[in-house]
Amino acid sequence: MDTIRIPSARGSFRVWQRNVTIFRKYWKTILFPNFVEPLLYLAALGLGLGAFIQQGGINGQSYVQFVAPGLLASNAMFAASFESTFNTFVKLKIDKIYDAIITTPVNAEDVVAGEYLWAGTRSALYGTAFLAMIVVLGIVFREPLVTSWWALLLPLMLLVIGIMFSVLGTLFTSLIERIDLYAYYFTLVVTPLFLLSGVFFPVDNFPAPVPQVAWFTPLYHAVNVCRELATGPSPGVLVDVAWILVFTGVLALIPVQIMRRRLIG
Amino acid sequence: MNAERNTGAESTLEARALKKSYGDFEAVKGVDFRVFGGECFGFLGPNGAGKTTTMKMIYGAVIPTAGELAVAGLDVYHHEREIKRRIGVVPQENNLDDELKVRENLLIYGRYYDLPRKVVLQRTDELLDFMQLSEKAEATVEQLSGGMKRRLLIARALINDPEIVVLDEPTTGLDPQARLLVWDRLRELTTEGKTLILTTHYMEEAARLCDRLVIMEGGLIIADGTPGELVEEHVSPQVLELTADHRSLEELLSVVEGADSVERTGDETVLVYTEDADTLLENVRSSGVDIENTVYRQAGLEDVFLRLTGRRLIE
Ligand SMILES: Nc1ncnc2c1ncn2[C@@H]1O[C@H](COP(=O)(O)OP(=O)(O)OP(=O)(O)O)[C@@H](O)[C@H]1O
Ligand SMILES: [Mg+2]
Repeated sequence: MDTIRIPSARGSFRVWQRNVTIFRKYWKTILFPNFVEPLLYLAALGLGLGAFIQQGGINGQSYVQFVAPGLLASNAMFAASFESTFNTFVKLKIDKIYDAIITTPVNAEDVVAGEYLWAGTRSALYGTAFLAMIVVLGIVFREPLVTSWWALLLPLMLLVIGIMFSVLGTLFTSLIERIDLYAYYFTLVVTPLFLLSGVFFPVDNFPAPVPQVAWFTPLYHAVNVCRELATGPSPGVLVDVAWILVFTGVLALIPVQIMRRRLIG
Repeated sequence: MNAERNTGAESTLEARALKKSYGDFEAVKGVDFRVFGGECFGFLGPNGAGKTTTMKMIYGAVIPTAGELAVAGLDVYHHEREIKRRIGVVPQENNLDDELKVRENLLIYGRYYDLPRKVVLQRTDELLDFMQLSEKAEATVEQLSGGMKRRLLIARALINDPEIVVLDEPTTGLDPQARLLVWDRLRELTTEGKTLILTTHYMEEAARLCDRLVIMEGGLIIADGTPGELVEEHVSPQVLELTADHRSLEELLSVVEGADSVERTGDETVLVYTEDADTLLENVRSSGVDIENTVYRQAGLEDVFLRLTGRRLIE
């Protein structure tokens, strides 16, 4: 019985659809903090800290221009991470939502894939709201934060980035029994990624092995992609996109198998 | 042991040497049973007997460690999706979707079966009515009483119009009136030709609803048959429930020694099984033992259960 389980599109869609149904009821209440938070960062760091950063900024950009697209990427990471950790844990262990779903033709593997898709969708929704916000702010303050039509691809990329972090979060969820253990995940994985992936300062110019280590972490590439799409990409961005797709593809089926074993005795 | 009857009929569920271990612990130790289309088949047994584990193997939430199990003619190891499409499930543990309203619970559940929207809408209204929940359609799950949640779980299990319905303690926590409603509805389902498989701790429920049943204990089926057959086979037809002061109990026990069987329940009550209660009662009276209370009744499933498991059903 230990064959590798591949999720079905139909079943995954149904799980995604359940989450959409619920989200449509509450989106106004839950959306708000999720894009106010990056705005706070933008205001405090971009304008506050940015004022101390010498003219010329970073790579010819002002500090706020540099930080904004990075926050777009980290915002997607946070949205997908919360979804695939606390929210998934509650559905799995407390509300037993998945136990109910898997008695229907929707299988355990579909549940996991549906949650990946949903976390990605959530990242894309929040990110797009935030993107719209920074476009408007850029116009209002005459300091364009998004300068390329390539930015239209950002929602799609945020979906992919969200799925990547959902896979990672679900992997952790599939391994733990207690909700308190997420403190480890956020302190040891999410926060270091947030601080050291080039959102706030470029890591490429640091001495070895900092850039080399960064290259092996997911948010680094997500930040690169978002920054390049916001300002006009170089061909090098394809490497980052490929990295994200390969990383996600390689890991995606692992939580599926572990979660299946947790749901089915 | 083989719970089998009308061997001519098509069986809709068949288990052979079915086993399930959790780690080193064998929860189900090899059971055989057959359920025929359109009947109500019961599982009785004390806590931990393995009833839920068996139900879960039927609805795909537990994969058997060994043995064969076919549901609706399909092997559980290879056809989980198809089986799940054709059965309905009332789990022992409530798992309604708390984030959805009562009505939405049925609507969203219907989508998992890929049912057309029109069909789901229509069945939702019918089922809410069927389970007398129409008034609560727009309530949240939290606002329901325990018994209403149970009824909603039953309604949910019927959204796909299943051929087989697995009900793990469907009436636990229901008040007597709600229980009667559920019994009535379950009988209606068998009249429609659905097959019901249910577990229960209520002897009256098993006697009223089940065409055939098995008694499980310690992961094994220890008896099977129709309710009537079980009573006939395992206990004498007449029962005297004698309550005496615990000091006179020893004396009482020696007086009733000649009966077919005697069970003690608690400190002060003795159940005496016999073919001839009159004579026995006469003997007790003439012995002069101080009896505080005497109840005479016909033997039932409760007595079979007590006899076989040494425990009373919870009621
Ligand atoms: N996931 C599990 N892991 C380990 N042991 C389990 C698990 N589920 C059940 N068991 C054990 O298997 C045995 C049978 O449990 P089961 O739930 O099937 O009993 P039951 O007959 O339904 O009891 P009840 O009347 O209390 O519902 C019990 O001893 C129980 O402790
Ligand atoms: Mg049980």
